Amino acid sequence: MFSTKDFVNASRNYVCVRLESYESEEHQQLVRSFLNGRFENTAFCLLDPDAETRLTRSSRNPNHVLGGANDSVIAEMNRIAAGYRKKGQDTEMVLQDFHSFRQALNVASGDQRLLLLVSGTASDIEKVKGTLRPVFAAPEVMGRFHLDFADETVDAQWTELVSNSSRGPGLSVIQADSFGQEGSVVAKLPLNASSTEIHQTLLAANRKFAESEARKIYGEHVKEGRQNGVFFENKMPYGEDRDGDGEIDHRGGKGGKGMKGRKGGGKGTGRSPE
Amino acid sequence: MFKKLFLLSVTVFATNTAFSQGPRPSDLTASPQPVGDSGVMWYTTWETAKAEAKRSNRPIFFMAAAATCSGIPGVF
Repeated sequence: MFSTKDFVNASRNYVCVRLESYESEEHQQLVRSFLNGRFENTAFCLLDPDAETRLTRSSRNPNHVLGGANDSVIAEMNRIAAGYRKKGQDTEMVLQDFHSFRQALNVASGDQRLLLLVSGTASDIEKVKGTLRPVFAAPEVMGRFHLDFADETVDAQWTELVSNSSRGPGLSVIQADSFGQEGSVVAKLPLNASSTEIHQTLLAANRKFAESEARKIYGEHVKEGRQNGVFFENKMPYGEDRDGDGEIDHRGGKGGKGMKGRKGGGKGTGRSPE
Repeated sequence: MFKKLFLLSVTVFATNTAFSQGPRPSDLTASPQPVGDSGVMWYTTWETAKAEAKRSNRPIFFMAAAATCSGIPGVF
Protein backbone atom coordinates (compact mmCIF):
# COMPACT_ATOMS: atom_id res chain seq x y z
CA MET A 1 0.00 0.00 0.00
CA PHE A 2 2.80 2.45 0.87
CA SER A 3 4.06 2.17 -2.71
CA THR A 4 0.88 3.34 -4.41
CA LYS A 5 0.53 6.85 -5.82
CA ASP A 6 -2.74 7.39 -3.95
CA PHE A 7 -1.11 6.55 -0.65
CA VAL A 8 1.93 8.70 -1.37
CA ASN A 9 -0.36 11.61 -2.28
CA ALA A 10 -2.37 11.13 0.92
CA SER A 11 0.84 10.94 2.96
CA ARG A 12 1.85 14.46 1.88
CA ASN A 13 -0.81 15.88 4.20
CA TYR A 14 0.89 14.15 7.13
CA VAL A 15 4.24 14.26 8.82
CA CYS A 16 5.19 10.64 8.28
CA VAL A 17 7.62 9.21 10.77
CA ARG A 18 9.00 5.70 10.65
CA LEU A 19 11.18 4.78 13.58
CA GLU A 20 13.51 1.78 13.52
CA SER A 21 11.98 -0.61 16.05
CA TYR A 22 15.25 -2.05 17.32
CA GLU A 23 17.35 1.10 17.26
CA SER A 24 16.95 2.20 20.87
CA GLU A 25 15.20 1.73 24.16
CA GLU A 26 13.43 5.05 23.53
CA HIS A 27 11.91 3.76 20.30
CA GLN A 28 10.75 0.58 21.96
CA GLN A 29 9.19 2.49 24.86
CA LEU A 30 7.31 4.57 22.32
CA VAL A 31 6.05 1.41 20.60
CA ARG A 32 4.98 -0.02 23.96
CA SER A 33 3.09 3.20 24.71
CA PHE A 34 1.05 2.62 21.54
CA LEU A 35 0.54 -1.13 22.01
CA ASN A 36 -0.62 -1.25 25.63
CA GLY A 37 2.75 -2.28 26.97
CA ARG A 38 3.50 -4.87 24.29
CA PHE A 39 6.48 -4.61 21.98
CA GLU A 40 5.96 -5.76 18.41
CA ASN A 41 8.22 -4.85 15.55
CA THR A 42 5.62 -2.75 13.78
CA ALA A 43 3.26 -0.18 15.26
CA PHE A 44 0.95 2.43 13.79
CA CYS A 45 -1.14 5.38 14.94
CA LEU A 46 -2.31 8.74 13.64
CA LEU A 47 -1.65 11.67 15.96
CA ASP A 48 -2.56 15.30 16.22
CA PRO A 49 0.25 17.75 15.42
CA ASP A 50 0.73 18.11 19.19
CA ALA A 51 2.26 14.59 18.98
CA GLU A 52 0.23 13.44 21.98
CA THR A 53 -3.47 13.37 21.07
CA ARG A 54 -4.27 10.14 19.28
CA LEU A 55 -6.58 10.44 16.31
CA THR A 56 -7.01 6.70 15.91
CA ARG A 57 -6.52 3.64 18.01
CA SER A 58 -3.12 2.08 17.58
CA SER A 59 -2.19 -1.28 16.12
CA ARG A 60 0.54 -3.01 14.17
CA ASN A 61 -0.77 -1.93 10.83
CA PRO A 62 -2.86 0.95 9.38
CA ASN A 63 -5.20 -1.53 7.69
CA HIS A 64 -6.18 -2.86 11.14
CA VAL A 65 -7.18 0.63 12.24
CA LEU A 66 -8.40 2.57 9.23
CA GLY A 67 -10.31 -0.12 7.38
CA GLY A 68 -9.15 -3.37 5.85
CA ALA A 69 -8.89 -2.28 2.23
CA ASN A 70 -6.17 0.09 1.08
CA ASP A 71 -8.77 2.42 -0.46
CA SER A 72 -10.49 2.70 2.93
CA VAL A 73 -7.19 3.56 4.62
CA ILE A 74 -6.47 6.31 2.11
CA ALA A 75 -10.02 7.70 2.31
CA GLU A 76 -9.82 7.81 6.10
CA MET A 77 -6.41 9.46 5.98
CA ASN A 78 -7.79 12.13 3.63
CA ARG A 79 -10.84 12.66 5.84
CA ILE A 80 -8.74 13.17 8.96
CA ALA A 81 -6.20 15.42 7.25
CA ALA A 82 -9.00 17.65 5.95
CA GLY A 83 -9.59 18.72 9.55
CA TYR A 84 -6.19 20.42 9.73
CA ARG A 85 -5.04 23.59 8.04
CA LYS A 86 -1.42 23.39 7.02
CA LYS A 87 0.81 26.23 8.20
CA GLY A 88 3.96 27.65 6.67
CA GLN A 89 5.77 26.81 3.47
CA ASP A 90 7.46 23.54 2.53
CA THR A 91 10.65 25.51 1.99
CA GLU A 92 10.74 26.07 5.78
CA MET A 93 10.48 22.36 6.56
CA VAL A 94 12.37 20.57 9.29
CA LEU A 95 14.79 18.28 7.47
CA GLN A 96 15.02 14.54 7.93
CA ASP A 97 17.91 13.17 9.98
CA PHE A 98 19.01 9.82 11.39
CA HIS A 99 20.45 8.94 14.76
CA SER A 100 23.44 7.36 13.00
CA PHE A 101 24.91 7.03 9.53
CA ARG A 102 25.02 3.27 9.98
CA GLN A 103 21.24 3.17 10.41
CA ALA A 104 20.79 5.61 7.52
CA LEU A 105 22.67 3.25 5.21
CA ASN A 106 20.52 0.33 6.28
CA VAL A 107 17.25 2.24 5.81
CA ALA A 108 18.38 3.64 2.43
CA SER A 109 19.14 0.09 1.37
CA GLY A 110 15.78 -1.16 2.65
CA ASP A 111 13.89 1.53 0.73
CA GLN A 112 16.28 1.36 -2.22
CA ARG A 113 16.78 5.10 -2.24
CA LEU A 114 19.94 7.17 -2.52
CA LEU A 115 21.17 8.81 0.66
CA LEU A 116 22.50 12.35 0.91
CA LEU A 117 24.99 12.62 3.75
CA VAL A 118 26.06 16.06 4.94
CA SER A 119 29.36 16.06 6.80
CA GLY A 120 31.09 19.01 8.38
CA THR A 121 31.20 20.97 11.59
CA ALA A 122 27.97 21.68 13.45
CA SER A 123 28.01 25.29 12.24
CA ASP A 124 28.65 24.19 8.64
CA ILE A 125 25.68 21.87 8.84
CA GLU A 126 23.36 24.56 10.16
CA LYS A 127 24.30 26.78 7.21
CA VAL A 128 23.74 23.99 4.68
CA LYS A 129 20.23 23.32 6.01
CA GLY A 130 19.10 26.64 4.59
CA THR A 131 20.32 25.58 1.15
CA LEU A 132 18.81 22.11 1.41
CA ARG A 133 15.27 23.04 2.49
CA PRO A 134 14.10 24.28 -0.93
CA VAL A 135 15.78 21.28 -2.57
CA PHE A 136 13.96 18.72 -0.43
CA ALA A 137 10.69 20.67 -0.71
CA ALA A 138 10.73 20.30 -4.50
CA PRO A 139 8.14 17.71 -5.61
CA GLU A 140 10.66 15.99 -7.89
CA VAL A 141 13.02 15.44 -4.94
CA MET A 142 10.54 14.83 -2.11
CA GLY A 143 10.28 11.18 -1.14
CA ARG A 144 13.04 9.98 -3.49
CA PHE A 145 16.05 10.28 -1.15
CA HIS A 146 17.02 9.90 2.45
CA LEU A 147 18.95 12.63 4.20
CA ASP A 148 21.40 12.34 7.07
CA PHE A 149 23.62 14.83 8.86
CA ALA A 150 26.81 13.24 10.13
CA ASP A 151 27.16 13.59 13.86
CA GLU A 152 30.67 14.65 14.82
CA THR A 153 30.91 11.93 17.47
CA VAL A 154 28.55 9.05 16.54
CA ASP A 155 29.48 9.21 12.85
CA ALA A 156 33.12 10.22 13.18
CA GLN A 157 34.21 7.11 11.27
CA TRP A 158 31.55 7.25 8.56
CA THR A 159 34.13 7.21 5.75
CA GLU A 160 35.13 3.68 6.79
CA LEU A 161 31.72 2.46 5.64
CA VAL A 162 31.87 3.95 2.17
CA SER A 163 34.09 3.64 -0.86
CA ASN A 164 35.02 6.42 -3.29
CA SER A 165 34.87 8.92 -0.48
CA SER A 166 37.16 11.78 0.42
CA ARG A 167 37.42 12.54 4.10
CA GLY A 168 36.71 16.25 3.75
CA PRO A 169 33.38 17.87 4.55
CA GLY A 170 30.73 18.03 1.88
CA LEU A 171 27.50 16.66 0.51
CA SER A 172 27.92 13.00 -0.46
CA VAL A 173 25.32 11.19 -2.52
CA ILE A 174 25.64 7.59 -1.38
CA GLN A 175 24.33 4.34 -2.79
CA ALA A 176 23.98 1.72 -0.08
CA ASP A 177 24.89 -1.86 -0.87
CA SER A 178 22.31 -4.62 -0.96
CA PHE A 179 22.41 -5.27 2.81
CA GLY A 180 22.96 -1.66 3.84
CA GLN A 181 26.25 -2.44 5.50
CA GLU A 182 28.41 -0.29 3.26
CA GLY A 183 27.94 2.25 0.52
CA SER A 184 29.68 4.05 -2.28
CA VAL A 185 29.77 7.76 -3.00
CA VAL A 186 28.28 8.35 -6.44
CA ALA A 187 28.56 12.15 -6.34
CA LYS A 188 30.04 14.73 -4.02
CA LEU A 189 29.52 18.47 -3.72
CA PRO A 190 31.15 21.09 -1.52
CA LEU A 191 29.22 22.49 1.41
CA ASN A 192 28.83 25.81 -0.38
CA ALA A 193 27.08 24.24 -3.39
CA SER A 194 23.96 26.10 -4.44
CA SER A 195 20.44 24.73 -4.16
CA THR A 196 20.34 24.43 -7.94
CA GLU A 197 23.56 22.41 -8.06
CA ILE A 198 22.38 20.09 -5.34
CA HIS A 199 18.99 19.66 -7.00
CA GLN A 200 20.53 18.82 -10.37
CA THR A 201 23.11 16.46 -8.88
CA LEU A 202 20.49 14.55 -6.91
CA LEU A 203 18.18 14.11 -9.87
CA ALA A 204 21.01 13.00 -12.17
CA ALA A 205 22.21 10.47 -9.59
CA ASN A 206 18.67 9.19 -9.09
CA ARG A 207 18.19 8.67 -12.83
CA LYS A 208 21.34 6.53 -13.00
CA PHE A 209 20.36 4.68 -9.85
CA ALA A 210 16.90 3.89 -11.24
CA GLU A 211 18.43 2.53 -14.44
CA SER A 212 20.91 0.24 -12.72
CA GLU A 213 19.12 -0.91 -9.55
CA ALA A 214 16.64 -3.79 -9.66
CA ARG A 215 14.01 -4.14 -6.95
CA LYS A 216 14.95 -6.63 -4.29
CA ILE A 217 12.82 -9.71 -3.95
CA TYR A 218 12.22 -9.91 -0.24
CA GLY A 219 12.28 -13.68 0.14
CA GLU A 220 15.40 -14.09 -1.98
CA HIS A 221 17.17 -11.26 -0.17
CA VAL A 222 16.53 -12.80 3.23
CA LYS A 223 17.58 -16.23 1.97
CA GLU A 224 20.82 -14.83 0.60
CA GLY A 225 21.46 -12.98 3.84
CA ARG A 226 20.96 -16.17 5.85
CA GLN A 227 23.25 -18.16 3.55
CA ASN A 228 25.98 -15.54 3.83
CA GLY A 229 25.59 -15.00 7.55
CA VAL A 230 24.74 -11.30 7.19
CA PHE A 231 23.60 -9.81 10.48
CA PHE A 232 22.86 -6.24 11.53
CA GLU A 233 23.55 -5.57 15.16
CA ASN A 234 21.01 -3.15 16.57
CA LYS A 235 21.09 -1.70 20.05
CA MET A 236 18.05 -3.73 21.11
CA PRO A 237 17.69 -7.51 20.81
CA TYR A 238 15.50 -8.87 18.02
CA GLY A 239 12.16 -10.45 18.86
CA GLU A 240 8.85 -9.32 20.24
CA ASP A 241 7.17 -9.07 23.62
CA ARG A 242 3.62 -9.91 22.65
CA ASP A 243 2.51 -10.74 26.15
CA GLY A 244 3.75 -7.37 27.41
CA ASP A 245 5.71 -8.70 30.35
CA GLY A 246 8.67 -6.48 29.54
CA GLU A 247 10.84 -9.28 28.14
CA ILE A 248 11.39 -10.42 24.58
CA ASP A 249 9.51 -13.67 23.95
CA HIS A 250 11.45 -16.61 22.61
CA ARG A 251 10.40 -19.46 20.43
CA GLY A 252 9.94 -22.77 22.16
CA GLY A 253 12.81 -25.24 21.93
CA LYS A 254 15.59 -22.66 21.96
CA GLY A 255 15.90 -22.28 25.66
CA GLY A 256 13.57 -19.31 25.81
CA LYS A 257 10.67 -18.90 28.14
CA GLY A 258 8.10 -19.39 25.37
CA MET A 259 5.01 -17.42 24.63
CA LYS A 260 2.21 -17.32 27.12
CA GLY A 261 -0.97 -18.46 25.47
CA ARG A 262 0.30 -18.26 21.89
CA LYS A 263 2.16 -20.47 19.54
CA GLY A 264 4.85 -19.53 17.08
CA GLY A 265 5.86 -16.30 18.79
CA GLY A 266 8.44 -14.29 16.95
CA LYS A 267 7.68 -15.75 13.56
CA GLY A 268 6.66 -13.67 10.58
CA THR A 269 8.32 -10.60 9.23
CA GLY A 270 6.27 -7.76 10.55
CA ARG A 271 6.90 -6.28 7.15
CA SER A 272 5.45 -2.86 6.53
CA PRO A 273 2.46 -2.83 4.19
CA GLU A 274 3.57 -2.22 0.61
CA MET B 1 -22.73 -27.53 21.19
CA PHE B 2 -19.51 -27.72 23.21
CA LYS B 3 -17.71 -29.27 20.24
CA LYS B 4 -18.88 -26.43 17.93
CA LEU B 5 -17.74 -23.79 20.39
CA PHE B 6 -14.38 -25.51 20.74
CA LEU B 7 -13.88 -25.67 16.96
CA LEU B 8 -14.88 -22.02 16.61
CA SER B 9 -12.44 -20.90 19.28
CA VAL B 10 -9.61 -22.92 17.70
CA THR B 11 -10.37 -21.38 14.30
CA VAL B 12 -10.45 -17.83 15.69
CA PHE B 13 -7.21 -18.41 17.59
CA ALA B 14 -5.44 -19.84 14.55
CA THR B 15 -6.65 -17.02 12.31
CA ASN B 16 -5.57 -14.33 14.75
CA THR B 17 -2.18 -15.92 15.25
CA ALA B 18 -1.53 -16.23 11.53
CA PHE B 19 -2.66 -12.65 10.91
CA SER B 20 -0.52 -11.19 13.65
CA GLN B 21 2.53 -13.05 12.40
CA GLY B 22 2.19 -11.78 8.85
CA PRO B 23 3.42 -13.62 5.79
CA ARG B 24 6.55 -15.71 5.82
CA PRO B 25 9.64 -14.07 4.28
CA SER B 26 9.72 -16.62 1.48
CA ASP B 27 6.19 -15.58 0.44
CA LEU B 28 7.09 -11.92 0.05
CA THR B 29 8.10 -10.49 -3.28
CA ALA B 30 9.41 -7.17 -4.58
CA SER B 31 7.91 -3.74 -4.02
CA PRO B 32 5.79 -2.83 -7.05
CA GLN B 33 7.10 0.73 -6.98
CA PRO B 34 9.81 1.40 -9.58
CA VAL B 35 13.22 2.29 -8.12
CA GLY B 36 13.72 6.05 -8.19
CA ASP B 37 10.02 6.94 -7.99
CA SER B 38 8.73 9.31 -5.36
CA GLY B 39 7.57 7.59 -2.20
CA VAL B 40 6.58 8.52 1.33
CA MET B 41 8.76 11.23 2.79
CA TRP B 42 9.74 9.62 6.05
CA TYR B 43 11.15 11.32 9.09
CA THR B 44 13.41 8.94 10.93
CA THR B 45 13.73 10.52 14.35
CA TRP B 46 10.85 11.33 16.66
CA GLU B 47 12.33 14.73 17.46
CA THR B 48 12.39 15.95 13.85
CA ALA B 49 8.89 14.61 13.22
CA LYS B 50 7.44 16.38 16.25
CA ALA B 51 9.16 19.62 15.26
CA GLU B 52 7.85 19.42 11.70
CA ALA B 53 4.30 18.61 12.88
CA LYS B 54 4.35 21.58 15.21
CA ARG B 55 5.73 23.85 12.48
CA SER B 56 3.36 22.75 9.72
CA ASN B 57 0.25 21.84 11.78
CA ARG B 58 0.00 18.55 9.90
CA PRO B 59 -1.14 15.41 11.71
CA ILE B 60 1.43 12.67 12.30
CA PHE B 61 1.42 9.29 10.58
CA PHE B 62 3.41 7.25 13.08
CA MET B 63 5.01 3.94 12.16
CA ALA B 64 7.61 1.80 13.82
CA ALA B 65 9.16 -0.85 11.63
CA ALA B 66 12.37 -2.81 11.27
CA ALA B 67 14.69 -2.49 8.29
CA THR B 68 15.72 -6.06 9.05
CA CYS B 69 14.23 -9.54 8.95
CA SER B 70 15.56 -11.68 11.80
CA GLY B 71 18.66 -9.49 11.87
CA ILE B 72 19.20 -9.57 8.12
CA PRO B 73 19.37 -5.95 7.01
CA GLY B 74 18.39 -4.04 3.92
CA VAL B 75 14.67 -4.85 3.78
CA PHE B 76 11.37 -3.44 4.99
